[in-house]
Amino acid sequence: MELLVLIKPVPDPDTRLRPNAAGTALDTDGVKWVLTGYDESAVEQALLLKESAPGSRVRAIAFGPAPRTEEILRSALALGCDTATWVEQPSGLVPDPMLSANALSWACQKTPFDLLVVGKQALDDEAGVVGPAVAERLGVADYGPVVDLRWDPAAGKFNLARAVEGGLERITASGPMVVCLQQAWNDPRTAKLQNVLKARRTTIDKVSWAEVQAGVGPAVPGTRLTSFRLPPPRTGAKMIAFKTPEEAAQQLVRLLREEAKTLP
Amino acid sequence: MVDFSLTEEQKSLQDLARKFAKTEMLPVAAACDRAGRFPEDVYRKAWELGLMNLNVPTEYGGSGLSVFDQCVIVEELAHACGGMTTSIIANCLALEPILLGGTEEQRKRTLPAFCSSYHLASFCLTEPSGGSDAGGLQTRCRLDGDHYVLDGEKCFITNAPHASLYTVFATIDPALRHKGITAFFVPRAAEGVVPGKDEEKMGHRASSTSTVKFDHVRVPLADRLGAEGDGFSLAMRTLDHTRTPIGALATGIAQAAIDYAADYSLKRHTFGKPIGEHQAIQLKLANMAQEVHAARLLTWHAAWLIDGGQRGSLESSIAKCFASDAAMKVADDAIQIFGGYGYMKDYPVEKLLRDAKLTQIYEGSNEIQRIVIARELLTHYA
Ligand SMILES: Cc1cc2nc3c(=O)[nH]c(=O)nc-3n(C[C@H](O)[C@H](O)[C@H](O)COP(=O)(O)OP(=O)(O)OC[C@H]3O[C@@H](n4cnc5c(N)ncnc54)[C@H](O)[C@@H]3O)c2cc1C
Repeated sequence: MELLVLIKPVPDPDTRLRPNAAGTALDTDGVKWVLTGYDESAVEQALLLKESAPGSRVRAIAFGPAPRTEEILRSALALGCDTATWVEQPSGLVPDPMLSANALSWACQKTPFDLLVVGKQALDDEAGVVGPAVAERLGVADYGPVVDLRWDPAAGKFNLARAVEGGLERITASGPMVVCLQQAWNDPRTAKLQNVLKARRTTIDKVSWAEVQAGVGPAVPGTRLTSFRLPPPRTGAKMIAFKTPEEAAQQLVRLLREEAKTLP
Repeated sequence: MVDFSLTEEQKSLQDLARKFAKTEMLPVAAACDRAGRFPEDVYRKAWELGLMNLNVPTEYGGSGLSVFDQCVIVEELAHACGGMTTSIIANCLALEPILLGGTEEQRKRTLPAFCSSYHLASFCLTEPSGGSDAGGLQTRCRLDGDHYVLDGEKCFITNAPHASLYTVFATIDPALRHKGITAFFVPRAAEGVVPGKDEEKMGHRASSTSTVKFDHVRVPLADRLGAEGDGFSLAMRTLDHTRTPIGALATGIAQAAIDYAADYSLKRHTFGKPIGEHQAIQLKLANMAQEVHAARLLTWHAAWLIDGGQRGSLESSIAKCFASDAAMKVADDAIQIFGGYGYMKDYPVEKLLRDAKLTQIYEGSNEIQRIVIARELLTHYA
């Protein structure tokens, strides 16, 4: 089985984020870029499928600026992906999700695949566009948000489950197709030290920006970020004075009902 | 060109160690410390990821890292728990005499087992009658045909209750002092090898430490490392390689102390402002930052020298001594910044002080390090 997984460098959730001076974008100075969240779950799922179907191979594909994009591709290789493709993003270009999807779809169509896994959204902009848009571009079906995905070797088909309002929808489908994964229903592995070292010596395939433009036409972002702000700091914590735990619980219930109005 | 920046490869090793420290060690560190629990599950995971036999070359299945790379990893692990780090890197200490003094046949016979499955080894030098004066050790080895017979007792041996192999230093004749010391590797399964009960310790409580008795233990001639009388030099060369990572371990503890203290200083208010805005606290934080920065650079420098093929005894002594003293000072300052809360076990900083203390004692006490440093210094003036 040929598996593709799309990943994106996002700011380490542990770094302190702040807007740039103009308040129009994230200040990327000092930000550490990592493979995490939905994307990490997607890589894990691709690797689990690879392990369940011997002879399978996983290619990680990422679109973004150097060097951060190369770094997360190396993280994916260290986790067990077989090959990696970096789709070049020229410096100065601020892509929107549709542009990213177009660029990625060009890299995806270069080799035949059975399944393309992608996080249902990126952890930073949470746009949720790339998976369905790549599927559209490639003319294949897409499913999401998927919470369970298995390969049935006897039937040669995938069994998957989608989270829908109030329940689960089970689907049997055959590739090629795109699956947009819900986060954290698997437990992403940690790379082994030897694999981290090996991943540093692996060659990453490059798709140049010129090639992307020749393939999908001149790429101009259709949307532009006009303002970027952090949520206001939380205020208004209320300490409850109490003598007994029962009294504290009563007070808490009263406040939730009368002031916060979160209880009927 | 001198370069003080980490390579991309070193950064990815650092990331790996940091992630392991944060997700596997830190969540259980306080509970293991309180209970004196040896978290074997954590050590097994460390082994699985390749964090345990860092110095063993890849040809035997180890990680084959330079001393510098080991330091980068050890600092990150120690940031989460000094005690667990001591146990995780104890294999490096115990197997180093085999790497340095073993024949190819001996290395092939011993090392792969540690890399193909989870096993612990212990380095047995210190004895109840003394650790600093290694030339005066009393454990005897007597040649009897094609075997040696070992008799004696070792103490304060890291991981000893859980180890499957011991590297042991014994003497053919105590009157010969350094010249009589001879090294062996001895399986735990050998008859007469008796590890003692786990010691109750002040810090590093997630690590395990005990005595090991050798009672008429028969060791094949083929399990002697080097020649008779080579043992002292082998022990010293081993410690030359492992002392620098102890500097990194101390640096990790000290960095954790700064991280906790700086964060707390911005959250705790007195006299209408965060204590971090009082100058007395700022001066303390500034001093702490200087200590840690210097400790890290001294450690990196010593490691760089050793990786470049130099012995680095002097520089590794300086690094270990300075970094461990720094860890004590910085942990002490962190407690002071936390005030009364710092003294409470519900907060993380008092553990750092207890853990830092050991780094001034083991792998050559700081008094011994200073003797080495001064002796070396004076040779340039004599
Ligand atoms: C938790 C823990 C783990 C350990 N793990 C190991 C291990 O795995 N393997 C191992 O072999 N050992 C291990 N040790 C032993 C450790 O290395 C020794 O404790 C250390 O070398 C000091 O020896 P000692 O305790 O016998 O003190 P002593 O040698 O008795 O020294 C007592 C004091 O006198 C000072 N002193 C000694 N000689 C001089 C001198 N000439 N001039 C000035 N001051 C001097 C010392 O610095 C010290 O302050 C461990 C110890 C501990 C506490």
